Amino acid sequence: MTASFDRRALATLPSRGELAQHDAAVWDLRRRRDAAAASVPDWEALRERAAGIKAFALDHLDELLTGFEERARAAGAHVHWATDATALCRIVTELLAARGARRVVKSKSMLTEECGLNPHLEARGVEVVDTDLGERIVQLAGEPPSHLIVPAIHKTRREIGALFHRTMGTPAGEDDPERLTRLARADLRRRFLSADAGITGANFAVAESGSIVIVTNEGNADLGASLPPLHVACLGIEKVIPALADLPVFLRLLARSATGQPISAYTSVITGPRPGGELHLVLVDNGRSELLANPAQRSALACIRCGACLNTCPVYRRAGGHAYGTVIPGPIGSVLGPTVGALGRELPHASSLCGSCSAVCPVKIDLHGQLLAWRGATVRKRPRGERALVAAAALALRSAALLGPARALLRLAWPLLARAGRANPAAGWLEARELPPLPRESFRAQWKRKRSAQRAEGERRRKPESAQRAEGERRRKPESAQRAEGERRQGREVVEK
Amino acid sequence: MNIELFVPCYVDQLTPDVAWATLRVLERAGCRVSYDPAQTCCGQPFLNVGASREARRLAERHLRRFGGAEAVVSPSASCVATVRHRYAGLGLGAQGAARTWELGEFLVKKLGKLELGARFPYRVALLQSCHGLRELGLGTPSERGPGAAEPNPTELLLRAVEDLELVPLARPDECCGFGGAFSVTHPTLSGRMGRARLRACTDAGADYVTGTDVSCLLHLDAIRRREGFGPRAIHLAEILVNGSST
Amino acid sequence: MSERDAILARVRRGAGRRALHPGPHPPPELPGGWDTFAATLATVGGEAHGPFAPNALGDALVALVRRRTDGGRVVAEPSAAERAGRGPWEVAREPAVGHGFADAAVALVLGRAAAADCGAVAVLEDDAPHRALPFLCQRLVLLLPVAGLRPDLHGAWDSLPAAAWRSHHVTWISGPSKTADIEQTLVYGAHGPLGLDVVGVLD
Repeated sequence: MTASFDRRALATLPSRGELAQHDAAVWDLRRRRDAAAASVPDWEALRERAAGIKAFALDHLDELLTGFEERARAAGAHVHWATDATALCRIVTELLAARGARRVVKSKSMLTEECGLNPHLEARGVEVVDTDLGERIVQLAGEPPSHLIVPAIHKTRREIGALFHRTMGTPAGEDDPERLTRLARADLRRRFLSADAGITGANFAVAESGSIVIVTNEGNADLGASLPPLHVACLGIEKVIPALADLPVFLRLLARSATGQPISAYTSVITGPRPGGELHLVLVDNGRSELLANPAQRSALACIRCGACLNTCPVYRRAGGHAYGTVIPGPIGSVLGPTVGALGRELPHASSLCGSCSAVCPVKIDLHGQLLAWRGATVRKRPRGERALVAAAALALRSAALLGPARALLRLAWPLLARAGRANPAAGWLEARELPPLPRESFRAQWKRKRSAQRAEGERRRKPESAQRAEGERRRKPESAQRAEGERRQGREVVEK
Repeated sequence: MNIELFVPCYVDQLTPDVAWATLRVLERAGCRVSYDPAQTCCGQPFLNVGASREARRLAERHLRRFGGAEAVVSPSASCVATVRHRYAGLGLGAQGAARTWELGEFLVKKLGKLELGARFPYRVALLQSCHGLRELGLGTPSERGPGAAEPNPTELLLRAVEDLELVPLARPDECCGFGGAFSVTHPTLSGRMGRARLRACTDAGADYVTGTDVSCLLHLDAIRRREGFGPRAIHLAEILVNGSST
Repeated sequence: MSERDAILARVRRGAGRRALHPGPHPPPELPGGWDTFAATLATVGGEAHGPFAPNALGDALVALVRRRTDGGRVVAEPSAAERAGRGPWEVAREPAVGHGFADAAVALVLGRAAAADCGAVAVLEDDAPHRALPFLCQRLVLLLPVAGLRPDLHGAWDSLPAAAWRSHHVTWISGPSKTADIEQTLVYGAHGPLGLDVVGVLD
């Protein structure tokens, strides 16, 4: 009954060292987020407001989208609509081909990853260079990103140094992060200056003004948007918010939630094309309208892609991003992912439902509630063995009368359960733990036995009730006190590892 | 006060001592405690695997059995969270929500009692219950920013126990990795998370680890017995019942 | 039905129209002031200077520029040059994009407003018509009239003239370009400038 996600987690972070490194690196982001939140006196009020603005935006999304389109066009931008990934790829390919653009620089856009834009363009002879350093690293390595904000968090400096040496001809053995960054800077700078087009995502789209907002620490999106003559910005339809004045609410939450910084280095509000340039905005659905129509799941569309839920998730930290097999890993990925394939359906179960994700989400998405809702929605697809066990347990618990015989069976089966074996439903438990001892009697049985003994006693002696009880209590020393007594006598047996 | 004892199914089967300790603590606090042996399960494990039909049936049964109670108290934050927060989603409204309590919050918030004459001369680490903390509000989760602090009844009760030293844990409320079926279907991850909590306990020098949820404690204890390190687990009720008057 | 109309029809079905906008966010109680701004800027890798009276600004800038580059090309946007006066900098006059500024060592640009709680300075299109210049230079120097400083981002945002939002871009700059993509080690100057100086100007 072990889930394949669990096996993938082991394969992604196989050694203790890798596990510790990943967990510590990601937890550090959570720690920084906590420190940043603590310095904002209206943090919880801000979250509440951000959630409210997003709820409003989603509830009026069609109006906001048409308003955005109108104002963006008035400012001189072209607006395209893409139903799905295929449409996005087609539109972008055509835009580039019409201008003979063959060299493209791209800043981070999870949407374009989701739609497989890079391989589509590369297959058509377009060179696409990811300019976000972390994205560039995984692009050169031919791997998917493993984290929303820090795509190469799973790679060591030595691995990156070796990668740069292999792909960019940088000096062998160079692994200093600053020097490696400078080497990438020089290489990517040439590409910015010679690119035919820049493709970006957008963090927000503002209906009031027809603007898009792009947030980076590196400044790569600004270079990619302003140097080449063509700028193509791809964004999911859920990114639209009503007004410019709403932006500070999100901006005060975004970078603090992501990395603990007060704000990102560069926040650009772009309205219309730059002088002498062209701006094309591609609004993408790709399943978002479907999520919107599902009241139990639509709040996931409020996501501002900060990554805080990843950083806090004890499962993500100990599994690694690649275990998920989705474009976006972690809790938000598990909530957006279940529509896609068997592994996707498993993801909502790859959680202990601790709720930490919901507690850090800057827009208050009830992430763990949604994971639970997905479990309900896909219960009929669960493995047959699990469904049988669930049905059997439900039957046994339907009546207290059945519990007696059920427990008798359990007592017989218990020593068998302690032995590992493929058919053993407790096999997963036993992989990491011992089976707890099964007490001779359940509480229910003990209580009943003691109560009937009390009654029998009372009838025999016909003493006042209070004396009876006192007598009974004196005879039965509470087991917990007995055990505590035993432990105090034996001394502590804690063995430290 | 008249209390109905709500004994979670796994406490009934695996740790009856905890149920007895809960009963005695409540009596010591001046309550009259009744127990209905016909109760079975609140439905939480079924809800967690998405079996909402089975969960609903058990929930209806639970509400029927506890229908007339003035107060229902349980040594399990997760079961109480199910009744208070998940029953509405099964179409059962808010029945039972207002009168169902976790043991510690009942003692502190409802009865106003901190001192119970308990003594436990050891260093104890508190394993925060995820359900207790983030759903029942039994304290302020570490994720929260300024402006919404909640007192922690479990902690308050432990601090009032004579000679008990509460040792703080790094990452004070990280999940222990039990998560119900998760512990069986995801043994690698569940084991990694549990071992990390145990290590945090030993790093803090704890002799015992306690909490409001037997499930979490059983999971940690079972890892301790496999790995050979870590403090013993003991439920809050078992600590509170220790000491002077028995 | 066009792709656009089909998407909008689906969205319309899913939207509920019930939620109300929660309204403007009441600004928090925050200290504000130049020292707060300078301290926050320092935490994100920038450096604050001054603030200087107008007659002292020129000399201060010359000294700063000399510290930041040893004979390299210094380019000032027109509105910054107006404030800065004469100095070892050329005034940017090339056509608006900026490939020609790839060799700029230092750029001088005028900022309009700033938020002390996050150390961010707003740069408007009118003051940075050469869009790529603040990103291509090796070191960026922003001039900030102190009167434009607000305690928090809401206030700073609201203080910008409406016309600013109708122009091509408004860029909030907080600190130099940076990345921590390699083993979480913070490195300044990922693609944009390696350093940011904000020089306060008293009016």
